[in-house]
Amino acid sequence: MRRLFLIARREYFAYTRTVGFWLSMLVLPGFILLGGMLPAYMKNAAPTRNIAIVDLSGQQMGPALKAAMDKNRLEEDADDLHDAALPEAGREKADALEELTRHQGLQAGLERLRQVAPRAAAAWKPSKQSVVVVATPPAAAAAASVAEAERALRPLIDGDGRNSKPLLDGAVILTLQDGEPAGRFWSKGVTDTRAEDAVRDGLIEVVRGQRLRALGVSDDQARRVDTVQPALDVFSTRSGRNEAVGLRDRLPGLVGFAFGMLLWSTIITGASILMNSVMEEKSNRVLEVLLSSASTTEILGGKVLGVAGITATVLGVWTAIGAWGLSTLAAVAPGIVGDFVSVLTQGGLIFYLLAYLVGGYLMYAFLFTAVGAFCETPREAQTLLGPIMIMLSAPIIVLQLAIRTPDMPLVKVLSWVPLFTPFLMPARIPSEPPLWEIAGTMLGMALMAAVMVWIGGKAFRAGALATGKLDWKNVLAAMRGERS
Amino acid sequence: MDSALSLEGVWKRYGRFEAVKDLSFQVEKGTICGFLGPNGAGKTSTLRMVLGLSEPSEGRISVLGATDGRMVRDRIGFLPEERGLYRKMTPVDAIAYFAALKGVPMGEGRRRARALLEEQGLGPSMNKKMKDLSKGMAQKVQLIASIAHQPELVILDEPFSGLDPVNQQGLEAMIRGLAERGATVVFSTHVMQHAERLCRKVVLLAQGRKVFEGTVDAARNQAPRALELEGRIPAEAAAGLPGVASLESQAVDGEEAGVYAHRAALAPDADPQAALKAAFARGLDVRRFEMKQPSLHDAFIVLTGGDR
Repeated sequence: MRRLFLIARREYFAYTRTVGFWLSMLVLPGFILLGGMLPAYMKNAAPTRNIAIVDLSGQQMGPALKAAMDKNRLEEDADDLHDAALPEAGREKADALEELTRHQGLQAGLERLRQVAPRAAAAWKPSKQSVVVVATPPAAAAAASVAEAERALRPLIDGDGRNSKPLLDGAVILTLQDGEPAGRFWSKGVTDTRAEDAVRDGLIEVVRGQRLRALGVSDDQARRVDTVQPALDVFSTRSGRNEAVGLRDRLPGLVGFAFGMLLWSTIITGASILMNSVMEEKSNRVLEVLLSSASTTEILGGKVLGVAGITATVLGVWTAIGAWGLSTLAAVAPGIVGDFVSVLTQGGLIFYLLAYLVGGYLMYAFLFTAVGAFCETPREAQTLLGPIMIMLSAPIIVLQLAIRTPDMPLVKVLSWVPLFTPFLMPARIPSEPPLWEIAGTMLGMALMAAVMVWIGGKAFRAGALATGKLDWKNVLAAMRGERS
Repeated sequence: MDSALSLEGVWKRYGRFEAVKDLSFQVEKGTICGFLGPNGAGKTSTLRMVLGLSEPSEGRISVLGATDGRMVRDRIGFLPEERGLYRKMTPVDAIAYFAALKGVPMGEGRRRARALLEEQGLGPSMNKKMKDLSKGMAQKVQLIASIAHQPELVILDEPFSGLDPVNQQGLEAMIRGLAERGATVVFSTHVMQHAERLCRKVVLLAQGRKVFEGTVDAARNQAPRALELEGRIPAEAAAGLPGVASLESQAVDGEEAGVYAHRAALAPDADPQAALKAAFARGLDVRRFEMKQPSLHDAFIVLTGGDR
């Protein structure tokens, strides 16, 4: 045991004392943070596009288009206010706020937000306007035909060829086609379609209003039809509450999926660290010295324990970051945080996850360590790992199916394959599979882990001293003692 | 004298391939034994069996009184053929770590590491990372790591390979020092000069089989002695001297025509003095006469049948 702990200690500090370890550990939380912030950043960081409307329709379509674009923008603000209010004020008040904003404008909506969700109101900022309709330049406004308008607009959009910024980012020339407005949109670039999309949406709104009025439907009537939201409350016998199904009921599935993915990446990362460590020791012959100093069990056990410590450190830091994130979120949305915690604790999900983490780690740690013992270079490892990695992609694909239908037959069957159990069962647990299935799959996983420990130990011993050409045939021969 | 290591009828088979065949030998305590043989002779396979890294297919091995090297691993030091240590460790940490695996407390291991490194002139490098050391330095560190726990039996697999002459000399001194402190040293090599300088006993292997076991002198005696004759001596006259078994002759550059240098291999029981006397008695123009003792290298060639 003394040797085992010595080897574990060296393994642990060899990684945790490097800067790279701490940097790579922060990559995942960094990506999650970035993933959450990036859309909002991109929305606000993109420059505002100034566009002009040249109205050649003769029927005041220009002001109508501008009004339609303003209305569409107001709808976006109403959506934003709804999302901001939802965690603090609840669905009913958030829906009412959205409706009020659509009818009475942004200021009225903001006033209501301050009443129903004061914390959210204090933090809320309107998103940056992506497209602004500016006054039509006189030369273009005076044009009598499309050709004249285009001649006037092109230099304003293109710029004067020097470094100064062009006056316009784009312009739309409105005409009439069969009594309905039609447009020719000009801009310098073709990749940023935000202005083009805003004009198209505005024109759809104008044409739609025109056609509805022709059918005798007023704007007010049309709006009332548009905002119909039938009252359909969804219940679940599984939720155990006489309340409509909400995020709290769907959260277990999402948490199961997230933990399935987390376990997959954690286990494979830990096992890969082990494999690389053994591979390095084999290539520089340290492994031979180790084998002359400690038993195979002590070396393998020490390494597996050391990397388990590394994995635990990573999970511990992630848990701390997650707890900090949740406590921050709790100030804004205490309900969601409470639901999340209750999902983890109810039904012992957290304990199942721990059991799957341990079982999965043991299986793959010994498998990957044995592979590492036969290899001296990453290329050699690829030769042996290729089939294993192909097999390992299966649970990732199936996990995506499990998020919606965790009781799908394919998910059920594959969760009984011990090598997939630790990844697929966390996704199934929230759908409350029968206890015998949980116990059965866990037993299978435990047996497989025991087999892996045995085979891994045997392969490790054979591989550590093996030389020569590397393929599965020779690996098996070395394990049978038919090859040095 | 007690033996530190004893092998009796040991075989090692990998499938149908026989790496070691019926190998028996003994190494007495406190001696330096050279384990010699060409590449692929079965040296590494044997050493691995001695260490308990692999099991013999047949036969018995006794190491420091135990039937399995693993049972006495704390009393054995081992230097593998191709050496390496953790590249990011310092020499002190690496030596202390391997000593700790052999039961030496970490603090004591560090103390010994510093003392041994200073002794070997590596004091200024003791806190550098292994990757920053020269190959010679790294090999010395590796050897220190294998002996810091003061083992009774030290097994060195090709310890001199890749070392320059100065470092080879330093390593030889370290090995002598181990034996002087009472340790038994077994080292494998296919460079005979090291064995000649260090060993009292050698074991020669060829194609998995032992071809010789004994002292260095006894090994040398396995090769024919040679007589070097130079002068205006015809080849036929040289070949006709008593005890000459075979002859190689060549003209000597820079001398007048008819002057030859002959190398005559002597028959096992031949007396070189008799050949010299006969040469003078026959009036041969002998300008140089030298009796050449065979080297271990000559013995190696003869005993292994030139299997290199």
